[in-house]
Amino acid sequence: MVLLSRRKKATIDPDILALSKIVGTKSILHHKEDLLSYDCDGFTIHKAMPKAVIFPKNTEEVSAAVKYCASHNIPFLARGAGTGLSGGAIPLNNEVIISLVKMKNLLSVDYENRKAVVQPGFVNLKLTNSISHKGYYYAPDPSSQYVCTIGGNVAENAGGAHCLKYGVTTNHILGLEVVLPDGEVIEISPNGVLDTPGYDILGILTGSEGTLGIVTKITVRILKNPESKKTVLAYFDRVEDGSHAVSDIISAGIIPAALEMMDQTAIEGVEAGAFPVGHPPDIEALLLIEVDGITEGIAEQIEQILTVCENHHVRDVKVARDEEERGRWWANRKTGFGAMGAISPDYLVQDGVIPRSKLPEVLKEIRNISKEYNLRIANIFHAGDGNLHPLILFDSRIEGETEKALLAGTACLKACADAGGSITGEHGVGIEKKEEMRFIFSDEELEAQTSIRDVFNPHNLLNQGKLFPTPSRCMDIKKVVNETSLTKST
Amino acid sequence: MDELLIEGPLTELANRFGNITPHIRYPETEDEVAMILQEANKNGKKLAIVSGGTKLGYGGIKPNYDFTLSLKKLTGIVEHTAGDMTVTVKPGTTMQNLQQFLKQHNQMVPLDPAHSSASTIGGVVSANESGPKRLKYGAARDHVIGMRIVYPDGKIIRTGGKVVKNVAGYDMNKLFIGAMGTLGVITEITLKLRPLPKHSSTVTLSVQEDALNDLKSFIIRIQDSTIEPVSLELINPTLSKSLFHKDEYHLIIALEDVKKAVLFQEDWIDENKPTEAMMNVLEQPEDFWTRFNELTPNSQNDFHDTTSGVMKVGTANMGVFPLLQECDRLNLEGNVQILAHAGVGHGLSTIIVSGQPENVVQWIRYIQAFSEEYGGYGIVKHLPFELREQLEVWGQQKGSFSLMRGIKQKIDPKNTLNEQRFIGGI
Ligand SMILES: Cc1cc2nc3c(=O)[nH]c(=O)nc-3n(C[C@H](O)[C@H](O)[C@H](O)COP(=O)(O)OP(=O)(O)OC[C@H]3O[C@@H](n4cnc5c(N)ncnc54)[C@H](O)[C@@H]3O)c2cc1C
Repeated sequence: MVLLSRRKKATIDPDILALSKIVGTKSILHHKEDLLSYDCDGFTIHKAMPKAVIFPKNTEEVSAAVKYCASHNIPFLARGAGTGLSGGAIPLNNEVIISLVKMKNLLSVDYENRKAVVQPGFVNLKLTNSISHKGYYYAPDPSSQYVCTIGGNVAENAGGAHCLKYGVTTNHILGLEVVLPDGEVIEISPNGVLDTPGYDILGILTGSEGTLGIVTKITVRILKNPESKKTVLAYFDRVEDGSHAVSDIISAGIIPAALEMMDQTAIEGVEAGAFPVGHPPDIEALLLIEVDGITEGIAEQIEQILTVCENHHVRDVKVARDEEERGRWWANRKTGFGAMGAISPDYLVQDGVIPRSKLPEVLKEIRNISKEYNLRIANIFHAGDGNLHPLILFDSRIEGETEKALLAGTACLKACADAGGSITGEHGVGIEKKEEMRFIFSDEELEAQTSIRDVFNPHNLLNQGKLFPTPSRCMDIKKVVNETSLTKST
Repeated sequence: MDELLIEGPLTELANRFGNITPHIRYPETEDEVAMILQEANKNGKKLAIVSGGTKLGYGGIKPNYDFTLSLKKLTGIVEHTAGDMTVTVKPGTTMQNLQQFLKQHNQMVPLDPAHSSASTIGGVVSANESGPKRLKYGAARDHVIGMRIVYPDGKIIRTGGKVVKNVAGYDMNKLFIGAMGTLGVITEITLKLRPLPKHSSTVTLSVQEDALNDLKSFIIRIQDSTIEPVSLELINPTLSKSLFHKDEYHLIIALEDVKKAVLFQEDWIDENKPTEAMMNVLEQPEDFWTRFNELTPNSQNDFHDTTSGVMKVGTANMGVFPLLQECDRLNLEGNVQILAHAGVGHGLSTIIVSGQPENVVQWIRYIQAFSEEYGGYGIVKHLPFELREQLEVWGQQKGSFSLMRGIKQKIDPKNTLNEQRFIGGI
């Protein structure tokens, strides 16, 4: 044994040795075969190998590892569950990946003050599950919530179906502990007190896609469950009618907890997936609408919603009879992305935002893009806040089709930007949409942002090459993608 | 772009509160703002930025600026898309004018900061001001979705966008919200709107001091219950006396929803309230809130002989109880009068300390220390200049201060804008 380890030591990279001293030999991966599953995240079109993956158990270990990397000029990045859809956790520069999955505890819950403190690797849904017996929940509910981490949610400023009424992650973060890229540990509003004097460091860190610091502790707001929820499912023969119904519901002064839409191709997918609910195959659009709040106030709002749907020639509209039916409708929706795998070998998820009133035009434009590229595009999205998710269906085995899918995705984002919108509503820029940042920001505006990165991350060792287009490398990102391994997406 | 040199009241204002100079420039367009800034920045000039001028007593320990840039003439609605529920507005627009405009469309900006007739959206966003409705609706950081900012060197930067959900790049809006004009001049603000509530009502519960604990338990029950108040504002007896002519603690519960749901909540409160509590459903809630909105002195109206300081104290939600009780203990000491109201459920309190200058300073300092001991902070929102110099008006600096200084240095390396207005002399 002694001999063996001595022999190993001789061949092992000194950085690996140093890092294993910090986290322990059981908490580091550095053999190629072990690293393979860390070569990408939920954005599987681009891959790159990390130098090592470490699993710190506490803030001190994160800080020590970061200090080591910083002083040895080793690029590094944080990783949660790896469900990010824009490539934020992909080690483009042979990074040391600091995985937070072992820091997965719920540290405290304070019902009186309506807050909870979690470690970054704590899974989103577990928080709600841990407090639901008291009638409380954590509002941001990305569809990936059963696996994604709250640390990853903070980094991406994740949203979800119920963010229309309750806001996205940034509206629910009260305090953070962060390891800065030089290893210093800072606490921002550790007690969760609002409006801590000074610039809103909390606000700038949230949604910074892991490029400003590594989040090691999070204080979040918890909310009380609404007294009742009612869910409506409405089928439309024409997608325009569905879009107009969305606008009219909002104009009626109702803020539904969720207002989701799927088009015909998406319906074909979810019905072929694991949670079919029997949606008719020949409708162009369906709306899933949820209203919540005080029981006394709900019936009236449901009545109004039904009237709006009828005014827009709804074919069929129904209210969920019970929790079981409601649950089935939501399972069908929340597994929607994955369900596309049942009707297409590959798919690419896009994430544009438009002003709600532009919905009919932009959906039409996406249909044109679909025709132009000869690829099917399913739309399954948060209609209430104008957050589109075009799912571009393709087959990577067909020569050139992956590139075509990427170009179609870019075209969808361009359509959103041209309609006065944004290139991402919740999935982030990562490496996927770096170049598309130019659709909405000028060089000066991008520079204003990178200059903030320089304050936090002056040597740019933390998650380098993400979020911003590379000015020096004028190469088209699509070419970069061409040159790297183009692999199947799931 | 006029240049005005006003003597008299303006000089008095500058002397009393600072953060303004007798020499004021009034740009009428964003380009003019950019020109002024570019020029000033090049020549090493120091500018004070004002909008409504209600917050001259808020922060700032620099006795002199070269001149003042006023946003008074940058007013009006730029764009309102009712269907998208967004509005773009220029910074000098008063809250009242903005809300009145939106009201015609049955919409509102869900912010209710003090002095809505004089304070402007630019100032409210820059000072991150909120009111009692914060409990349900949140703060400026939750509603602002985009801005146009003139940087100190004159370049124009857009932050965020015009859509309600957006994670492209850093959330740069957050930097400028609450930055007290130290990073850039906001020339346009785009906000998310809410529909006007279909029905609203305001309920008050009053109890004597010895029943305060029952009130506290009741509030915890409200939080655990299914009712959804828009605000839960606790008023100390001294303030209650001037608002309700009754020397008791008052809890003001605002309700907004469809009518049936509001009535249900009123009934719930009536059935569940502490036995000692007197309940009253206000007949003219709007009048009450208008009065409430004008409670605190500000730099436009405070020229009284007694000195008043206004504090914003942040604590854990339930931390407002010990805080208000401490205020009452200080009231008994007799040399100052302390009026206080506190948002139970969000933990932000407003405390007005009035009396002789030295006593005001002494008790502000005391309340700051008290709040910090409870894990919170106390900052001074309004106080004459010479007294501000005697205090740390922004309280203690925390671990992230070096980042704040770094941000200021990056964006405004020559300290052109509102130098020393903010925390730690930023
Ligand atoms: C099927 C599916 C459905 C999805 N649905 C939604 C949805 O509805 N809404 C939505 O918003 N997103 C959705 N996503 C995207 C994704 O789940 C979210 O972006 C999520 O927040 C990522 O969390 P993660 O733990 O997987 O982070 P990772 O993918 O591991 O990391 C994401 C980024 O965060 C950084 N990061 C991770 N942890 C930390 C930390 N502790 N400190 C600093 N930086 C860190 C990483 O460096 C990386 O840049 C979906 C993804 C999938 C696969």
